[in-house]
Amino acid sequence: MSATELTAIGVDTAVVDMMNAVFADYRDTHPPAAGIIDRDPTLWRALDDLGLVRLTGAESGGGSGAGWSEAAELLSAAVRHGVRIPLAEHDLLACWLLDATGVPCNAAVRTVSLLDGQGVATAVPWADGAERIVVVWHTADKYRVADVEVSAVEITRGTNMIGEPRDTVIADVSTLPGVPVTAALVAELRLKSALVRAIQVCAALDRIVALSIEHTTSRIQFGRPLAKFQTIQNLISDIAAEAALARSATEAALTAAINSDWSTDRLDFLVAVARSCAGHAASVVVRNAHQVHGAIGTTREHRLHEFTRPALAWRSEFGSVAHWDDQVTDAALQAGAAGLWGVVTG
Amino acid sequence: MTAPQSLPRLVPPATTDPSSTDGLRAEVRSFLAEQLGAGAFTPSVDAWLSGWDEAFTAALAARGWLGMTVPTEYGGHGRSFLERFVVTEELLAAGAPVAAHWIADRQIVPSLLKYGTDDQKSHFLPRIVAGECFFGIGMSEPDSGSDLASVRTGAARVDGGWSLTGTKVWTSGAHRAHAFIVLARTAPIDPAHRHAGLSQFIVELRGPGVEIRPIISMNGAHHFNEVILEDVYVPDAMVFGQIGAGWQQVTSELAFERSGPERFLSTFMLLAATAEQMASHRVARSNDLGRLVARIAGLHQMSSAVAGALQRHDPADVPAAVVKVLGTTTEGDIADFADLHADGVGSDLAFVELVSAAVDQRPGFTLRGGTNEVLRGVIARGLGMR
Repeated sequence: MSATELTAIGVDTAVVDMMNAVFADYRDTHPPAAGIIDRDPTLWRALDDLGLVRLTGAESGGGSGAGWSEAAELLSAAVRHGVRIPLAEHDLLACWLLDATGVPCNAAVRTVSLLDGQGVATAVPWADGAERIVVVWHTADKYRVADVEVSAVEITRGTNMIGEPRDTVIADVSTLPGVPVTAALVAELRLKSALVRAIQVCAALDRIVALSIEHTTSRIQFGRPLAKFQTIQNLISDIAAEAALARSATEAALTAAINSDWSTDRLDFLVAVARSCAGHAASVVVRNAHQVHGAIGTTREHRLHEFTRPALAWRSEFGSVAHWDDQVTDAALQAGAAGLWGVVTG
Repeated sequence: MTAPQSLPRLVPPATTDPSSTDGLRAEVRSFLAEQLGAGAFTPSVDAWLSGWDEAFTAALAARGWLGMTVPTEYGGHGRSFLERFVVTEELLAAGAPVAAHWIADRQIVPSLLKYGTDDQKSHFLPRIVAGECFFGIGMSEPDSGSDLASVRTGAARVDGGWSLTGTKVWTSGAHRAHAFIVLARTAPIDPAHRHAGLSQFIVELRGPGVEIRPIISMNGAHHFNEVILEDVYVPDAMVFGQIGAGWQQVTSELAFERSGPERFLSTFMLLAATAEQMASHRVARSNDLGRLVARIAGLHQMSSAVAGALQRHDPADVPAAVVKVLGTTTEGDIADFADLHADGVGSDLAFVELVSAAVDQRPGFTLRGGTNEVLRGVIARGLGMR
């Protein structure tokens, strides 16, 4: 073994440096614009050339053969530099589901949508800008999945709070081909979607803490840096602690998922815990960070919003914070007094 | 424009596979089920402070769960710190009465192993392992709370040892324990070097010159004491560590005291009891239950990671402060959550009593072992702000 340095979740730091460099370069030449964000095909090609687009696909199918650890670092790097691009939707969700169900997957840009009984899916991430859509729906007693051209479905544009495409997809499922997909795979899709957002929220929270320290150590008021005031130190200590808790919970879920290849029955609970901790952490982190930044932090000009607004937007996707609290509540009520500790420790 | 530098991690990543201790957890759970079945204890909140039960301590000693990390040459079990962590987590989650040996097992064992003389280790460690020797802490004084360096208890050199005079306060269990470790001044305070001139001594609580006065808590319970030392003779053999190195000795072990499961599990059995009340519709359903259970699960993961760092002898004072600030706040929030839901009519009496006990203990959670205000300062220093 060479003396490779690894990140906390076991990824070569040289790989992470490379990921950071790509997004830092892009961010330098593409300041964030207001309004709807479009997927940038030039960036997509650049990432594809580096093997970062189909990062977790099998090498035999043209992928890079990496795992969720590398994917988590990639998503975090994009968030860290405020770059929005549907890498998770394409690689970890849509293409993964096709591979898992044996449907051939070419190089087209994809997202995934889970239709309701009426053939409608709302808030589908990045449907606008995708080339194909992986559609999942429920028939009488089983789920089916199809990989279709975007023209085969009706897409109504929408966005989340930060302008990322969150579209409505309507399909006439009676006309779609489709192969059966197990309920277990659909459940895994939901968990993966939820964990993607937890990873992104954690990356945003860490950057907010860093920006808060940077601002308060450089901004002078009353003749000294804001960071020298104990009340400011307390506000920032608390958000650093909250962000750390969100990260502990998210990494615990991620590690359990990786170690069990997403098969452990603990994942429902661990992902719900991660989303609850990250969601509530976002409340405190966003509030205190804005407080210590003062009015400048509320402007378009300052970078703070590139992390605070996404943290709030993402914590509500693939399930609201209340939804995840509800899931943990259900688990606790089922366990009762005697079983609760076993639920916590596994 | 380049991105600002990333911060170093505040809390280390988890490095141990949680399933590696499943067997030990199962052993402790079956022991606890047996004890509960036999009526050996009644689960209570904050049982590591208030649950003094020497018979239960003896039963733990018989299972090899006291002084687990003590090497076998001192009568111990040579187990890892992580194994001790798992056993204590299980005991605390169950609300088991562990107060009698708590301080000796948590704090005195690692301190003795690090700073004790061979004679001290040979004398105390086998007794602690056997559950026959209980300790207290002699740090705080009436005029020295958060500002520990201001302690005024003095130790004067006398023939063959030291003579201690002063008053220690908040010494839990002093009325039942055998000894405590006293932090005292062996040199006058130097305003330029406030942390110099402090030393530690092992003091027998039943010896001449030691007076123990109860401090009764607001609910009438007696855990704390004031310990007055008047010309108490301590032989050289009972000097703990180096004369003059007291501050460094005290602070080097704080991570053990601050990151452990007692910093987030003091009210876990109340959280479990509240879940039970909700499941049986005696109190209204609230998703705050899930929010708090999720926080406890996150804290369990975080505290386990810090235990791993301690096992590797990595510095952990900042992550320990993070666990303690978040954990003690959460265990207090659990007390308040239960209190907001309990109603004297619909809920059963035993539950209402638990809630009252938790609400009464709550203020202490965020004070003991370093107030959360002091700990936020530790975190801020770790973040480079001071």
